[in-house]
Amino acid sequence: MHRVVSYANVAAEWFPELRLLVLARSADERAAIEDLQSAGLPNVRWVESSVLQDGDIVVPRSVKDEAVVLLRESDTHHALFMTNRCNSYCLMCSQPPTPADDSWLVDEAVDAIRHLRSPPLLLGLTGGEPLLLGVGLRRVLDAVSKYLPGTQVEILTNGRLFSDWRVAAQILTGLSTPVRWLVPLYGHADFVHDFVVQAPGAFDETLAGLMALQAQRQQIQLRIVLIEPVLQVLPELASFIGRNLPFVREVALMGCEPIGFALANRELCEVDLAQWSDTLELAARQLRRHDIPHLLMNAPLCSLPKALWPIAQRSISDWKNVYAAECEACCVKADCSGLFAWHERGWKPAPLRTIESAEAIA
Amino acid sequence: MAYAPKVQPFRSRVLADGFVLATSQSGDHAFFAPGEFDQFRQSPQLLSLRRQAELRARFLLGDSHPSIGVRRLIASRIAAKRDTVSAGPSLHILIPTLQCAHSCRYCQVSRSLHDQGHTLSLADIDAACDTIFESPSPTLTVEFQGGDPLLRFDLIERAILRIKARNVAESRRIRFVVASTLHQLDAPMCAFFKAHGVHLSTSIDGPRELHNRNRPIPGRDSYERTVAGIALARERMGHDSVAALMTTTKASLDHADAIVDEYVRLGFREIFLRPLSSYGFAKRNQALLGYSVEEFFAFYRRGLERVLHWSRQGVDIREVYTSILLNKMLSTFDAGYVDLQSPTGAGSSVLVYNYDGHVYPSDEARMLAETGDTSLRMGRIGTPLQSLLASPVRSVLIDASDVQKEPHCQACPYSLFCAPNPVDAQAQFGTPCVAAHDTEHCQRHMGMFDALFTKLRTADDDMQDLLHKWAQPVAAEQT
Repeated sequence: MHRVVSYANVAAEWFPELRLLVLARSADERAAIEDLQSAGLPNVRWVESSVLQDGDIVVPRSVKDEAVVLLRESDTHHALFMTNRCNSYCLMCSQPPTPADDSWLVDEAVDAIRHLRSPPLLLGLTGGEPLLLGVGLRRVLDAVSKYLPGTQVEILTNGRLFSDWRVAAQILTGLSTPVRWLVPLYGHADFVHDFVVQAPGAFDETLAGLMALQAQRQQIQLRIVLIEPVLQVLPELASFIGRNLPFVREVALMGCEPIGFALANRELCEVDLAQWSDTLELAARQLRRHDIPHLLMNAPLCSLPKALWPIAQRSISDWKNVYAAECEACCVKADCSGLFAWHERGWKPAPLRTIESAEAIA
Repeated sequence: MAYAPKVQPFRSRVLADGFVLATSQSGDHAFFAPGEFDQFRQSPQLLSLRRQAELRARFLLGDSHPSIGVRRLIASRIAAKRDTVSAGPSLHILIPTLQCAHSCRYCQVSRSLHDQGHTLSLADIDAACDTIFESPSPTLTVEFQGGDPLLRFDLIERAILRIKARNVAESRRIRFVVASTLHQLDAPMCAFFKAHGVHLSTSIDGPRELHNRNRPIPGRDSYERTVAGIALARERMGHDSVAALMTTTKASLDHADAIVDEYVRLGFREIFLRPLSSYGFAKRNQALLGYSVEEFFAFYRRGLERVLHWSRQGVDIREVYTSILLNKMLSTFDAGYVDLQSPTGAGSSVLVYNYDGHVYPSDEARMLAETGDTSLRMGRIGTPLQSLLASPVRSVLIDASDVQKEPHCQACPYSLFCAPNPVDAQAQFGTPCVAAHDTEHCQRHMGMFDALFTKLRTADDDMQDLLHKWAQPVAAEQT
């Protein structure tokens, strides 16, 4: 793990416990860094690169003369990948799990956090299922608290393992890092949710997990990916949340990412959102009845009834966000989520339309 | 089969239109057509998967051995329904005087202006103000009732200033309410009330003729003077500084629409179609003033439809009794209405400091004392709060309002939303311990819950939105 720094900043940013990769622009600068190394500073190296940026957190690959950029200061979405293992196998998983032991990722994450120059506003922890890391996840969260004061963490988790009070205690007791837990819920009854996540017993464990998070007054965002079996029950699911989980901070209704398992389960995952307008409006109505804040993600405005435009967010991470030909002349493009970069190989969330200004104002 | 449906504990009732209402342990409900209800009970696995999912989501169906998530969820739902009493007394009612210029026929308590004997002593006022702070509740409401308390504004002023001074160190959130005809309200009083954030609550029984008939005073102009008081309060203290309550008398029964229209005309955001118990006034007036539960239902249903009519026109008004019941039926956040709490809020979340120097568990209880039944006295004013709460009267009230101990309530689908009212029972039968279903309290609420569940079942989406909006507890500053 290295922090990329410009030559001018070496003195200011050097600490014995950090590794610096110095952007050297000339032979003089390279020689100066080599002088530092021979003077006994093992944690400074130079690199010649036109793509690396000051402040990047990178993992150099020694054999291939290349480096993987884990975090970049100028990005708006910062995320650390925690594990590729998972205890669910969701029909539309965008990141199909693998069973291999990848617990070294915890050390890498802590190292990356330690090397960050300034605390980002928001840091996402993703997987796989991060709760499988147990105390390892707590190490990462404590590292955030120690090295990145003020950073808000978002953790994408199915929450199932929190049904075990030992895991809940291990991770949540005395936790000082501000965390928002992003927890998917796909049904109002066990057999609906369990089918979507392809794991018997998951609904009950997720409910218990949500109760454990609430007991610790943790912030929760429920996430609902809009695939067909979920849309079939969406208004009932919204009402279930209103009655039973009124403590959640918000509910996110999300368009499906056409990648991973979603491609394999295309007949269940490919929907034309425009055909489900009534369902979406009724679900939003149910959430409003119970005063549950809610928003739409990954759904372009032209796929939604206009009544829902105010709750539609520009939600797709910058590195995978694209727009289509239809979007060029569209007058609400600036407010629109656009598409996932891989929609070409998969499908669009609905037939795209160019919104004329008359329609947008009407 | 892993997801074989098993019928979970439920309570049911056949509504007037033949549909069966069932409620589960969590307080969720479902409606069944008669044939479907039999199928649900006998062979739920034959119901469509969509219907099975709906019933599972309401905890009417589940597994043979419900697992930990569902168990925890139901436990938290039940706790949320019943947790409003536990924080200590939060509503403290002071009765500075029984004096009143009115001579309303249904009123049991008020005394004429010439009567000097029915007024709280200064020592008792001070002691009551101090007892209020013995409650651990972080939010307190202090309400002045009468008589007409504005006839002794000096006593209100004394109490508010004493409580305010004490609260500098205590930092509780305190709301003051003065219930009055507003006939004596003047500009200096408004200035004082505004400075101390005091809310006014007055009585409007309906249009001029009805109001003046219900509330006689020598000048026969009670309505005009109350409306003038409302106008003055709004001008000096803001539109929402004053709310109004109505009392349904026999004379009101035929005028539901006109009463509601009067509230709309006067710009009130709330109307409370409040029944008068058939035993709630001097026996000699029973024939003149009394009406049956059925007569009240007819009046209530008509009035409710009128309020809904105005709501649909965009008028911001809600019927409070309906709101209270819908809150119980639909919301996970209980608004804590005293008369429907189990155990009762009377004597636990409410205390009344009466002009006679005694503490009572509720407003109705001190009225009962005026008819000669002083059995609900909890102690003298000045008794430490701990002793008041440990009084035999309180334990009798708690015991008599426990739905777990009342067989009829145990079988009732509304038992999570309702409870026996022992103070009412004392008034009706002379004892708090009676079979719940024999009380007018039970008959009235059964009928109202029946009517509202039917309303809910037949509501379109816009009406559902409205009923859910009413079910949300009103923010404290608006009540």
